[in-house]
Amino acid sequence: MSVVFSVFMLTLLVITTFAIVRTRHLFVAVVLTGIFSLLIAAIFFLLDAADVALTEAAIGAGIATVLFLGALALTGEHERGGSRNRLLSLAVVAVIASILIYATFDNPRFGDPQAPVHQHVSPWYLDGTREYIDIPNVVTAVLGSFRGYDTLGEVFVVFTAGIGVLFLFSAQPRRRRSSSQPATGPIEGEGLRHYLIPRVVGRMLIPFILLFGLYVQFHGEYGPGGGFQAGAIFAAAVILYALLEGETRALRALPASVLTGLMAGGALLYSAVGVAGMLLGSHFLDYSVLAADPVVGQQIGIVLIEAGVGITVAGVLISVFHAFAARESV
Amino acid sequence: MYYVVTIATVLTMALALVRALLGPSIYDRLLAVNMFGTKTVLLLSLIAFLYGRPDFLDLALAYALINFIGVLAVLEFIRQRTARNLARGENEGL
Repeated sequence: MSVVFSVFMLTLLVITTFAIVRTRHLFVAVVLTGIFSLLIAAIFFLLDAADVALTEAAIGAGIATVLFLGALALTGEHERGGSRNRLLSLAVVAVIASILIYATFDNPRFGDPQAPVHQHVSPWYLDGTREYIDIPNVVTAVLGSFRGYDTLGEVFVVFTAGIGVLFLFSAQPRRRRSSSQPATGPIEGEGLRHYLIPRVVGRMLIPFILLFGLYVQFHGEYGPGGGFQAGAIFAAAVILYALLEGETRALRALPASVLTGLMAGGALLYSAVGVAGMLLGSHFLDYSVLAADPVVGQQIGIVLIEAGVGITVAGVLISVFHAFAARESV
Repeated sequence: MYYVVTIATVLTMALALVRALLGPSIYDRLLAVNMFGTKTVLLLSLIAFLYGRPDFLDLALAYALINFIGVLAVLEFIRQRTARNLARGENEGL
């Protein structure tokens, strides 16, 4: 039955994707992207991939829309006319699509128990998690410990992306036209402060969002969740505050220097845990030596690196949001 | 019983999607997306019970908490655009 649901949702997903590509109105495209994110999260969930679905939920539910709108405010709302080489683009896409479809013929059937991945990879991780780390959520064990290098790489990718965005936005200093200064000045940094209902409801929700973020952060060993998702949820809470109270107050609560510190600090914390393993006489990112009992050591290591991931992700997302909001439209 | 409710929810999502695709105004689409989000929260909760894993309700909770931020951002976007257009119009008038 869940296959029927999945196929139905995938059909809706394809329809949405076509609509996003077809529409010329970028604002409509942003709105439809929200639906796309909701659909894909539901499909991940149907496929029993709760951690991925939670990531999609945390990013796609709010932050993606906010950042897209930030970009729209800087550019125009309508897509420019298509390029002239439409036939060439169509040919390239068709060739790549046929290669990809051809490549899927070699894949094992969906859910095939005889597939190679179910023969030795998955059983090893399932048994290894119980033996070495002893936490219920195998996804967290694989991400945090077994594939710790990959996750460290991901954190540095997020960090680099954040630095890149900040660099691009700082490349051209803000040009404030003196004539329009009084007109735009009070509007920009104010947010939705004069709208009573969003403000009251939003302010009530912010503490709960932060609490839920902490829960996702530190419950990642037991249920779906972890640093990436929690970082996005923290960022969502701060962005909500910035929307309600205005940029200025949000920056007063969490100054840009603190945000930059968070960006670098999380990545540094992750690396420091790795180096600590080396100093204590083992390999980089081997947490077994962090405590007398190797299993406890692994758990301590995972909690620490997840905290690093969460700090970096939150710092990067909030900084990128502020970078978008600080720019005037061109 | 869960199946009946799930099918009904999925069909409602399809109807909301139709409204979001047809428009015609941007506010129709916004309302459709908002409704789609609510229905997704419901669907996730239903599937969590259908699979017998109620601890997956975390996901529905995540959506319920932060789904409306997008709508607030749209509100702020429209407000800023209107204000900017007004300011620009005044300047042109002068």
